[in-house]
Amino acid sequence: MPDTSIGNISGNKISDKDELTYLRSLILAPEQSEISELKERLNNPKIRAEELSRVIAEAIVVRAAKDQKLATALLPTIETVLRDAVKKDPKFLVDTIFPIMGPAIRRAISEALRSMIQSLSKTLEYAFSWRGIKWRIESIQTRKPFAEIVLLHTLVYRVEQIFLIHKETGLVLQHVAADSIDVKDADMVSAMLTAIQDFVNDSFSGKEDSSLQNLNLGELTVWIEQGPGAVLAAVIRGNPLQELRTILQETLENIEFEYSSALDNFEGNAAPFESCRPRLLYCLSQAQQTDARANKISSKLSTKRVKQNTGKKENLIIFLYVAAALCLLILIAGYIISIL
Amino acid sequence: MIQKKICMLGSFAVGKTSLVRRFVENMFSDKYLTTIGVKIEKKNVNINQENVSLVIWDIAGEDGFHHMKSSYLRGMSGYFLVVDKTRASTLDSAKDVRKKINEVYCDIPCILLFNKMDLTGQWDIEDSVIEELHHEGWDIVKTSAKTGLGVEEAFNRLATKMLEK
Repeated sequence: MPDTSIGNISGNKISDKDELTYLRSLILAPEQSEISELKERLNNPKIRAEELSRVIAEAIVVRAAKDQKLATALLPTIETVLRDAVKKDPKFLVDTIFPIMGPAIRRAISEALRSMIQSLSKTLEYAFSWRGIKWRIESIQTRKPFAEIVLLHTLVYRVEQIFLIHKETGLVLQHVAADSIDVKDADMVSAMLTAIQDFVNDSFSGKEDSSLQNLNLGELTVWIEQGPGAVLAAVIRGNPLQELRTILQETLENIEFEYSSALDNFEGNAAPFESCRPRLLYCLSQAQQTDARANKISSKLSTKRVKQNTGKKENLIIFLYVAAALCLLILIAGYIISIL
Repeated sequence: MIQKKICMLGSFAVGKTSLVRRFVENMFSDKYLTTIGVKIEKKNVNINQENVSLVIWDIAGEDGFHHMKSSYLRGMSGYFLVVDKTRASTLDSAKDVRKKINEVYCDIPCILLFNKMDLTGQWDIEDSVIEELHHEGWDIVKTSAKTGLGVEEAFNRLATKMLEK
């Protein structure tokens, strides 16, 4: 039988298996080397970590753009990390959010003071009038604070329109209006409101956290509440209660919380914000209920109002009489005490 | 309906307000009243069977980006750079604005408008310059707010680009 085995360079005979291996190494040497390298890369944790670190940032961006699964997957881990971090060192969290808390606290205090001043000024205005005395009696009977009785009788206002505006673009997300209100183009109004705010901020304010809160035009007031992603603007006719401001703030906070993703990704389609309408209508209706109650009371008073207005002089005379009577009583009491 | 904010930018007296007025009201006036701050107009268009509400911010003309109130540009989906074909300096200003905007906003649709095409005897910018800009990648429309040339085309083209993005 002829000798078919392949000899190596030195002339020694090689077995069939070795022949195959040798042949393989001749033909597939570069691929074998690549495969060994790939195996090394897969099996070596350091190399794998190095390679993953090169693409992980882009991978997160790509995945996050597709759906919310990445955020959902990471949420428990992030919550645990945050909780542990705060437990370990609460100070760092306080230091981090302090720049935000400070302005928010100051604003809350300023709103509370404004409300107090409004209440106080009304109280002083009506302290010494005949109407004021009547309201004092009503306050005692109903056990409500005098300031509240005063406000109920005097404040009549109506929220005519509410705009929910995308903060960055100035485009209107939703708009509601009370009945029989002449409504201008909501898109134009919201854009102009945004432009006015930008103008005022650029021209008069150097602070980033300051914002326009009120606009006044005759009987109309526009109250503006700013959030990070949206602005809520209420057009009010009359003299609104400060509690309306709180209602607007809470409404905006809820919208910011529930629609934060929609606000971040807004590109002109306001359809996702349709479900906000009930909240905005609530702001409108809340004000009108108070309005209705005040109107009811003021309609009773209105028939007497004419008489009261013409009787202001009489009130003054009565007041002087009462004051004189009190002085006389004090003198008599003093005389009696001195005798005794 | 989709809403889009677009801005009209460019030096003073290039015809920004006139272009907006021509587009929105189909009117033109020779009288020049400088825009102070910003004027806002709105027009609905139909692009590929989609209703789009264009909210147009006509911003007061400034020479250069550094004078411009950048807060007005926030959130814009596209913008026009308007150049007066009878004043070459307005083109330099437009280039400067585009460069600065690209640094901040990157890749927002923009169309360069060469306005006042009706003033044929007073052109200060050669057609070769416009060709060169076109080769550099600028999207250009020649317009005249007075005659209406290219106005509808410009706004429709910008709206299409914004929707495609």
